[in-house]
Amino acid sequence: MILSNRQERRLPYLLISPTVAVLLALSIYPLFYSIKTSFQTGDDAHFSFDNFTRLFSDGFFLSATAHTFVFASLALTLEFLIGLGLALLLDSKLRGKNIFRAVLLVPMMLPPVVVGVVWRLMLNSDFGAINGTLKSFGVDTTNLTWTASPKLAFLSIIIVDVWQWTPFVFLILLAGLQAIPNEPYEAALIDGSSAWQTFKNITLPLLKPAILIALLLRTMDLLRVFDSIFILTEGGPGNATETISLYIYRTAFRFGDFGYATAMSFVLLILTNIISATYIRFLQKQDTV
Amino acid sequence: MCRHSSFSLKVFVLLLVVSIVSFPACNRGGDEKVLTIAVVSGVEGDALTQAAKDYEAQTGVKIKIAQFPYTNLFEKELIDLQSKTGAYDLIMLDDPWFPKFASLNSMSELTPFFQKKNLAGPDEDFVKTSLALCRHPYESGKLFALPYVGNSQLFFYRKDIFEKHNLKSPETWDDVLSAAKIISEKESMKGYVMRAASGNSAVADFMPIFWAYGAEMFDANGNPTVNSAEGIAALKMMLELGKYSPSGYASFGADEVSNHLLQGTAAMSINWPAWISAFSDVNKSKVIGKMEFTTMPGAKNPGRAEIGNWLIAIPQAARNKDAAFDFLLWATDKQQMKLSATRGNPPTRASLFKDEELLKKNPAYPVQLKSLESSRPRPRTPQWNEIENVFGIYLSKANSGEMSAEDAMNKANEEIKKIVERGK
Repeated sequence: MILSNRQERRLPYLLISPTVAVLLALSIYPLFYSIKTSFQTGDDAHFSFDNFTRLFSDGFFLSATAHTFVFASLALTLEFLIGLGLALLLDSKLRGKNIFRAVLLVPMMLPPVVVGVVWRLMLNSDFGAINGTLKSFGVDTTNLTWTASPKLAFLSIIIVDVWQWTPFVFLILLAGLQAIPNEPYEAALIDGSSAWQTFKNITLPLLKPAILIALLLRTMDLLRVFDSIFILTEGGPGNATETISLYIYRTAFRFGDFGYATAMSFVLLILTNIISATYIRFLQKQDTV
Repeated sequence: MCRHSSFSLKVFVLLLVVSIVSFPACNRGGDEKVLTIAVVSGVEGDALTQAAKDYEAQTGVKIKIAQFPYTNLFEKELIDLQSKTGAYDLIMLDDPWFPKFASLNSMSELTPFFQKKNLAGPDEDFVKTSLALCRHPYESGKLFALPYVGNSQLFFYRKDIFEKHNLKSPETWDDVLSAAKIISEKESMKGYVMRAASGNSAVADFMPIFWAYGAEMFDANGNPTVNSAEGIAALKMMLELGKYSPSGYASFGADEVSNHLLQGTAAMSINWPAWISAFSDVNKSKVIGKMEFTTMPGAKNPGRAEIGNWLIAIPQAARNKDAAFDFLLWATDKQQMKLSATRGNPPTRASLFKDEELLKKNPAYPVQLKSLESSRPRPRTPQWNEIENVFGIYLSKANSGEMSAEDAMNKANEEIKKIVERGK
């Protein structure tokens, strides 16, 4: 088909119009609708900041925020340290490392819901595999009620997230390691640098971009995590493992208070944006050095 | 000129064809005579599902069942009623949800449907306490549902263990505590078991103790009074009982409680009659014939169980309301309810509790009827969900040792007050 100049100019717009229409209908419109909802309380349609001011005096929201940040920082630290360790290990000339790499990636490929259900069964204090295994080693498991005690429940959700997402960090860091050229290492060898000095002065600085990407992506996800925690503890016992996303869910779907829930969602969105922007600024600073 | 218009025309026709072809995908139910019923997973919902299949076989009316676990069912029905989507023609609801659903003004009033059939309303055979739940306001208002499953709590205990230690059937909570102590010390099992998971679980197992001690959730003006001296005393009794319960009870739900009883690792509990049949099931029970069921122990006040009936209502936005009402009337008539009873659901008709055939398989029916007739509903406020949620969190915290009884009740009262204020 030979197109005239005008048709050629119009064609791209015509072709993307269905996508744009879907985007407007399913993303943009709901976004603005929920902004509108967050300024309404109860059945009144009049504009009020009540939902936002309520956030500051709501003990459950404040503890949900605290839980989210503690969870995210602990999980992130563990995932980073373990992921880095695994990446360094598998970057060497280890025999059969391809098999290890494939196996390590399996947790990441499972749906979070499935991970949640299976871990919940394993963590069952009376019939689960974890306590069963510990018992066979002679450990007294009567007080190891994983999902029943507040501290253990919190530990459980961290363990499950670390189990599932460390492979992701590992993958990114491994790619970063393999992209580092050999020359700096050869130079360091000639200069007589120790293993630790090499790691600190060559590996880490050259790995920084990859590290920041991994941390950025994981942080954004950790702030939003819902599926696995919902299945494991549903925010319990009490509200010991309730993160912001779980509280939003409870407010919207158990109490039907959509105004307050959307207000909280926006606060979460803004928080995530600020943190991500900070990471990215850090990343850009590294590039200019 | 011709080339321009033929190109635009082709694109236009293509888009038109694509949109038309995708329309049938969003079928807006052109089917008449197909009823969609939302039911709960478990014994209660399974019985209604069976009844629906029978109805289909008898009348040819097609019925689609949408079955969900308890909390999912609540969410789906809430959304359906709030946005009036008409996705369901009949909904099965737990009675504590009723005030909230009724306040949305989106369930159909049933009296006009009765009148169309030349009936004044539901007949006298329905247990009064069950029918009262279906009216908004409670007991005196308009009728919006019919009761289908007549559950009210019972007290379960191991009569063989009690006989072994010369213990009388427990009549007060102090009796329960002393029996629990003796059994926990002298036997390898725990004396008591309860569910104290946050939310519905903890509250349902706490209310009978709370009421027996003379505490009330609200005073005459609607102000919360859970932290009254009686309320705190009731919570302290619950914590005492917790000492003789299996560890981890602070996050137990109904399944864990029943498992402990069925496996013989605990001797007493509050539970729902739906579990009675499991105790004589060879595949599930290690304690066949050893369990006794009685009415709720009392304290300052006579024991009153918490009522927990499943009701069936018709949303206003339902597409086949008349057909739905025909099914509802059929499913709650004496014959169908008797069938439902053989499938494990306590009936809501007084005559069926005395039916000879049913009594053979359900010897606990007289006790159940007594319990049902003297039972109390949870407070009939549309904000019950939020209140139960918050109350349940603090009860759970007290039981897991995070807070003292006084702190838990005081904080709970504060939060409940906030919720009540917001609702005004």
